[in-house]
Amino acid sequence: MTVLLATFIKAVVIFGALVSAAGLATLAERKVSAWIQHRLGPNRVGPFGALQPLADGVKFIFKEEFVPEGATRWLFILAPAISAMAAMMSVAVIPFGGLVTEIDGTEIYFSIADLDIGALWVVAIGGLGIYGVILGGWASNSKYSLYGGLRASAQMISYELPLILSILAVVAMSDTLNLREIVNIQTSGTAFGFLPNWNIFYQPLAFVLFVVCTFAETNRHPFDFAECESELVGGFHTEYSSMKFALFFLGEYCAMIVMASLTVTLFLGGFSVPYWEEAPWYLGVAAFVAKTAFFMFLFLWVRWTLPRFRYDQLMNLGWKVFLPLSLLNILLTGLAVSL
Amino acid sequence: MVIVKRKELTLAERLYIPEVLRGLRITLGKMFQPKSTRQYPEEPIPSTEVTRGQPRLAENEDGTLRCVSCGMCEIACPAYAITIDGHEIDRPIEREPERFEIDFLRCILCGFCEEACPKEAIWMSDELELADTTRKGLIYGIEKLKRPASALQKRIDYVKRINDRWRTFSST
Repeated sequence: MTVLLATFIKAVVIFGALVSAAGLATLAERKVSAWIQHRLGPNRVGPFGALQPLADGVKFIFKEEFVPEGATRWLFILAPAISAMAAMMSVAVIPFGGLVTEIDGTEIYFSIADLDIGALWVVAIGGLGIYGVILGGWASNSKYSLYGGLRASAQMISYELPLILSILAVVAMSDTLNLREIVNIQTSGTAFGFLPNWNIFYQPLAFVLFVVCTFAETNRHPFDFAECESELVGGFHTEYSSMKFALFFLGEYCAMIVMASLTVTLFLGGFSVPYWEEAPWYLGVAAFVAKTAFFMFLFLWVRWTLPRFRYDQLMNLGWKVFLPLSLLNILLTGLAVSL
Repeated sequence: MVIVKRKELTLAERLYIPEVLRGLRITLGKMFQPKSTRQYPEEPIPSTEVTRGQPRLAENEDGTLRCVSCGMCEIACPAYAITIDGHEIDRPIEREPERFEIDFLRCILCGFCEEACPKEAIWMSDELELADTTRKGLIYGIEKLKRPASALQKRIDYVKRINDRWRTFSST
């Protein structure tokens, strides 16, 4: 019973943290973009514009709910829900911290579910998110939306493969799919004598491939072909307004946070504090948040630095460069592990 | 015929990642540079003597208007923004406007009224802000237009200087 209660509390805390972090991320996006362009960014609502996400939310609620003529109504409403739900569900297995406490002999970890197939779960549920984009594009009865949805699906197929293959390299090294176990292996010992024992130092190629693929996976610049303002108006969410659009937005930022935390978990030692194995669990959570925040910043930073790829360049990169490289990486990892 | 030879890319450039890092370094540097935003209502736009804001009527030190309601500005105004009704008075200048209205919905801030005025009575001030909730409110009468000449002194000096420059420096 208490274990159930603990799980419930964890779910509420982690879900709340995720959604508020997504809100913060929208503010951070606007601030970072402003700073990079020598501007100040939102600073009128609350101190330093801190209440801007709240103001945005209020604005979204008061906008008109619009369903275009000829749209498939129920799919049109379902699509943003799928998009947001997939992003929020995949956070369930991310280990935010280590062992918190023990209740009735059951160990309570700081993750909603301590699944043995955690890595698989994130990939599977994260892959579902694309249905939101495709259905949204299809149901809108608009050529721009349909193009956005089609591009998103093609892109997702091309980049999910190298993404999964680079995860596979880490899994092969760690010999487990449980994300907490993967972190625990990275916690103890050192790499090459002085560095923390993080997978990034053993799998630099997989790390680079994984980070680039997360950009494509979350439809972020320079791979945001699902939106592609300059060609497709707004891409898959051209016809969306009000809270339905906000839900797509929330889903995108949640997916970014999940992908950033997955990068941290797989390659940068997750909740482990470098050079301090017996760190208390709350310091572990702090370390995790700090590392994730860096990758969130990287998402924003890259968006305001690089121009968008051309669509054929994207496909070339995905199939002719990333797939062979990730296969090569798997081969090398397999050799190294079996020797 | 011009043959443009494309630059051969080096391996580092074709790998793309080092170039991406170079770009990221530039944008990171930009983040810490001073911002070029002006926070407008708090940081007003600096006015210079050349600033050509809304026209204002100059007042003498005793509070009387310099305007003699000759109608020159009314004629000069290309936007028909000025309306003047004059009447006779006992002061040495003999005439004074009893109605002097500038419709700021029409005014284009061209400064022709200032040039046309023979009595140095109307000047372009450095006041730029213009807002109201009604159209009526933007038709300014004498009470809203008059300013002590000292408040317009910067502009008056400037205009006199540039008007005098041929007389002072011309070789003929």
